[in-house]
Amino acid sequence: MGADTKALRTRIRSVDSTLHLTTAMGLVASSKIRHATEVMNKSRQYAKAVNNVIELLTACNECKKSPFMRESKDGKICIVVIAGDRGLAGGYNANVFRLAKEYPDADFIPVGKRACERFGGDGYISAENFTLENGAELSKRLCEEFTEGKFDQLGVIYTKYVSVMTQEANIEWILPLTASQKKNNAGTIFEPDELTILNTAVPEYVNGRIMGLIRESYASEVAARRMAMDSAGKNAQTMIDTLQLEYNRARQGAITQEITEIVAGSDAQ
Amino acid sequence: MSTFKLIVSSPDGDIFKGEAVMLTLRGADGDLAILAGHIPFITSVKPCDCKILLSDGTEKLGHTQGGLLTVAQDQTTLLSGSFNWKE
Repeated sequence: MGADTKALRTRIRSVDSTLHLTTAMGLVASSKIRHATEVMNKSRQYAKAVNNVIELLTACNECKKSPFMRESKDGKICIVVIAGDRGLAGGYNANVFRLAKEYPDADFIPVGKRACERFGGDGYISAENFTLENGAELSKRLCEEFTEGKFDQLGVIYTKYVSVMTQEANIEWILPLTASQKKNNAGTIFEPDELTILNTAVPEYVNGRIMGLIRESYASEVAARRMAMDSAGKNAQTMIDTLQLEYNRARQGAITQEITEIVAGSDAQ
Repeated sequence: MSTFKLIVSSPDGDIFKGEAVMLTLRGADGDLAILAGHIPFITSVKPCDCKILLSDGTEKLGHTQGGLLTVAQDQTTLLSGSFNWKE
């Protein structure tokens, strides 16, 4: 019985240290959520502003000549996959990789340590510390490769931030651009002309979209980690409670047995 | 002097938001300055130094790696993937 209580005590101590770890990681994630969502909202605003200009431009007939608006069906696909730098975030990374599996013939450009480990190749090791310079470099490279015809469709697999509780892996298609129906009602003047502006604005647009989606994915990662740590903490607490009950029973059993033995001993005398 | 609403925006948020008297930068067809009451206008911006003149006479100097300038009736927006202030 003594060995039994000792083993239970060791297990309780071990689960308790796990509980401390999950609580600490949950707190770190909580403190990061606010900043991550703020940055996400800011980059969304930028992406929306660039998108408005692009919509105005793609509505012009002249712009249909742009290499970024070429029609392509069943062409080669290039996908930027944004995953996390670390695990312990519930199904965050797994959902992204499951969606990526649906495009077996695509070329992948990984962003984030987990994505780099999975897809290898020429990627960016950190989604958390992805800088504006990284974004500018990546979008320039992607636009050049698209105009050279190395691929015909550009997509981004990211995790959509719905709320702190819910995040969904999703794919957004960025290139080729599709013609919009937006009208130039304000009589805006384009200098030098719509096509030239569109061709120079596309890298800016791709950069804005990719940066926005990376920031959104990071906010989702932090929120997913908080939720995962929260439920891990709850599970650890339930486990400790059960073990504690078991331990108390074993201890009480040992005491009862000792008393019975003493009483039986004194009766025999 | 009359002013206009200017926003300098990057993917990491607004770098400048406020009233300005004049914005000077290099557009697709050469150097240009935007003043209050400019007609709606869109141009691409080349990598250049940008000067923002405020109503109190102070000048703010920055550098952009390129971008888009949109002038609407209510506000002027410089969308830049990379913009840094110069000391």
